Amino acid sequence: MRRSLIILLVIAALLVFGFIYYALDPIQSGLFPRCGFLTLTGYKCPGCGSQRAIHALLHGDVVAAFKYNALLFISVPWLALCFYAESRRTRNPRLYVRLNAPLLIWLFLAMVLLWWLLRNIFNW
Amino acid sequence: MQYWINHNGVQTGPVDLDAIKEMNLTSSAYVWREGLGDWVKITQMPELQGFYEMVNVNAEPQPQQASEPKADGEAVTGLPYQPQQPQINLQPQYAQPQAPAEPCPPTNLVWAIISTVLCCIPTGIVAIIYALKVTNKYREGDIEGAKRASETGAWWCIATIILGIIIQPFLSALPILTASMN
Repeated sequence: MRRSLIILLVIAALLVFGFIYYALDPIQSGLFPRCGFLTLTGYKCPGCGSQRAIHALLHGDVVAAFKYNALLFISVPWLALCFYAESRRTRNPRLYVRLNAPLLIWLFLAMVLLWWLLRNIFNW
Repeated sequence: MQYWINHNGVQTGPVDLDAIKEMNLTSSAYVWREGLGDWVKITQMPELQGFYEMVNVNAEPQPQQASEPKADGEAVTGLPYQPQQPQINLQPQYAQPQAPAEPCPPTNLVWAIISTVLCCIPTGIVAIIYALKVTNKYREGDIEGAKRASETGAWWCIATIILGIIIQPFLSALPILTASMN
């Protein structure tokens, strides 16, 4: 009962945010949140371009989305998988422990840091 | 009432009746709850009738023989099967669940990634490091340490997300301010 309510809420939130990001262009609208790191330091953070990428993706422009933020193409599927494992933590503890293996977390952390560094060097 | 389940060598618990209903158990599963001296076949639990699917028992890997309750669990894949001591039958006050393995505490990895990638605040990285700490401690068998790391990591996620929300209005105002100053 509680679980299905959470799933419903997640789907509703996805639909609402999906509609907002489809209808409004983050480049033109001033309503979207800004990156604090970029504003304060002038350097891009690992998440910069995510909103433009989501907008492009919802309009079917995969190439533009990849150019805005390539990390999203790895982090979103992985996030979805982690979320699924999280919801089944007590029922499928093996999947949870496997997905949260130190090696995988290290790999993701290294990827984020490398992406952060490289995108500021090569202006990705 | 809380139950611990051993299904095909995978231990889960504590879980309640609602959770057991959704676990798609088969008749080869074993159950333990407070008051029981040892693991009991799910088929022998009157309150759990209808909570599992009958399968051909001979085809399933059996955790233990009914006549040998102290089998060392060679047939069990994965987590070691730890049967309770025989005297527990006579002294139910010792029937605390040493046997069921505790599940890994939440690593908060999902929130750590969200706060790192979407909140643009470097403190999200700290939350990822704490997620790492949780799994490392859990694998070492340090459940208490894993729980502490899990809690600290959760606070880092919350702090990052709140900070991200708080600074938003200032960030939106900044370009307007600098433009008006020029």
